[in-house]
Amino acid sequence: MDIEIQHGPGNAAAKIHLHPRETVIAEGGAMIAMSSDLHVETTTHNRGGGGILKGLKRLLAGESFFINHFTSGDHGGNIIFAADLPGDMMEYRLDGDTLIVQAGSFVCSSSEVTMDMSWQGFGKAFLSGERAFWLKIGGHGQVVLSSFGAIYPVEVNGEYIVDTGHIVAFNETLNFSVTKAGGSWMTALLGGEGLVCKFQGQGTVWCQSHNESTFGRALGPLLKPRS
Amino acid sequence: MQATIEGAPCFAHIHVDLDPGETVIAESDAMSSMSATLGMEAKLNGNLFSALIKRFLGGESLFVNHFINRTGEAQRVTLVQSTPGNIVQADLAGNSLCLQPGAYVASTPGIHLGVRWAGFVSWFAGEGLFKQVVSGHGTLWYGAYGGLLEREVDGEFIVDSSHLVAYEPQLQLKLQLAGGLFSSFFGGEGFVTRLVGKGRIIIQTRSLSGLAGWINPKLH
Repeated sequence: MDIEIQHGPGNAAAKIHLHPRETVIAEGGAMIAMSSDLHVETTTHNRGGGGILKGLKRLLAGESFFINHFTSGDHGGNIIFAADLPGDMMEYRLDGDTLIVQAGSFVCSSSEVTMDMSWQGFGKAFLSGERAFWLKIGGHGQVVLSSFGAIYPVEVNGEYIVDTGHIVAFNETLNFSVTKAGGSWMTALLGGEGLVCKFQGQGTVWCQSHNESTFGRALGPLLKPRS
Repeated sequence: MQATIEGAPCFAHIHVDLDPGETVIAESDAMSSMSATLGMEAKLNGNLFSALIKRFLGGESLFVNHFINRTGEAQRVTLVQSTPGNIVQADLAGNSLCLQPGAYVASTPGIHLGVRWAGFVSWFAGEGLFKQVVSGHGTLWYGAYGGLLEREVDGEFIVDSSHLVAYEPQLQLKLQLAGGLFSSFFGGEGFVTRLVGKGRIIIQTRSLSGLAGWINPKLH
């Protein structure tokens, strides 16, 4: 399949051109338009089984319970995917390597990739405000991810710090730990950065420029209370 | 120091490459990512008095973060504001600029963040009794929700009160009704700010209060 990302970083959409009898899988609710002759199938898992349990794990990872499989006929077809929030998208081509993807960032992928949950531990999840399950995407094929804000890659060689809430995805060759921002707890708390993620190793981490929770906290006080 | 703004105008963010020994200062929670070798220290936003005023009357944070490069090579920190929107860079050479609450993003150490009495007009407009005045020598980055428009005022100019981001200090601000009583309240404009004098102003093309005003009737 051929992927074209349009209207980034403000309101990105992924236009997928499917070759004849090719399948793209996508997060439930991501499709905004498609050729009328695509065959749609809804399951709780990618390929290779897993059933309800996999669906539940997807829910824990912040994805929807179901994933959709869109398969083209003899003439190929087009399909357009978008995310809920304004923001950017990126395409990544897997070549036997593995990508760890933040909950909710997955948009779509070719059907050949393998998808599983990656357990990051309660401790990290609790501290970083991220989820305990992340998506682990491997195999060979293309994947499209979305973000709130623009996406920028950081090549890590050694150590790099990313604020919690700014991670889109990273190579599995990287490890991260949750730590305080700056040299002291004083700085971490007074400076408003709190806890951050420290990446170690060699690989790429894709960051989103903005943080939807921070924006939520800026907008929230202006909204009327729930009655 | 090398700074590039990317993602503009929707999601502007600043990549700041600090040379050895250099420091950049940013508002609380502005760091998106940074080299792990950079030092980071929270410091009061100006002196205690102005920090307190900025916090409680100007809507800014009490502390700012200093990012310091103590290594022998260039290191990067990426900074961003809390809302989507544009960020611009202003180079100050002894001149100053007044910023609306929340507009400050980052600055170099030669920039002084001060407060000045703004008067009751500003307070009635919902913008605080004090105004934030940025002065000194160096680089300042500020931004707002939405795109940013620059306008040269010579004489008088009227801006909707929630859309003014920055203005040169020699300009005088006056709060007034948008039109007559009827059109002010039924025309949806309410209060506007009349700027008098000669100088540059920056306007934001969207406002958070406008977004909230649109969402609120839809909440149940």
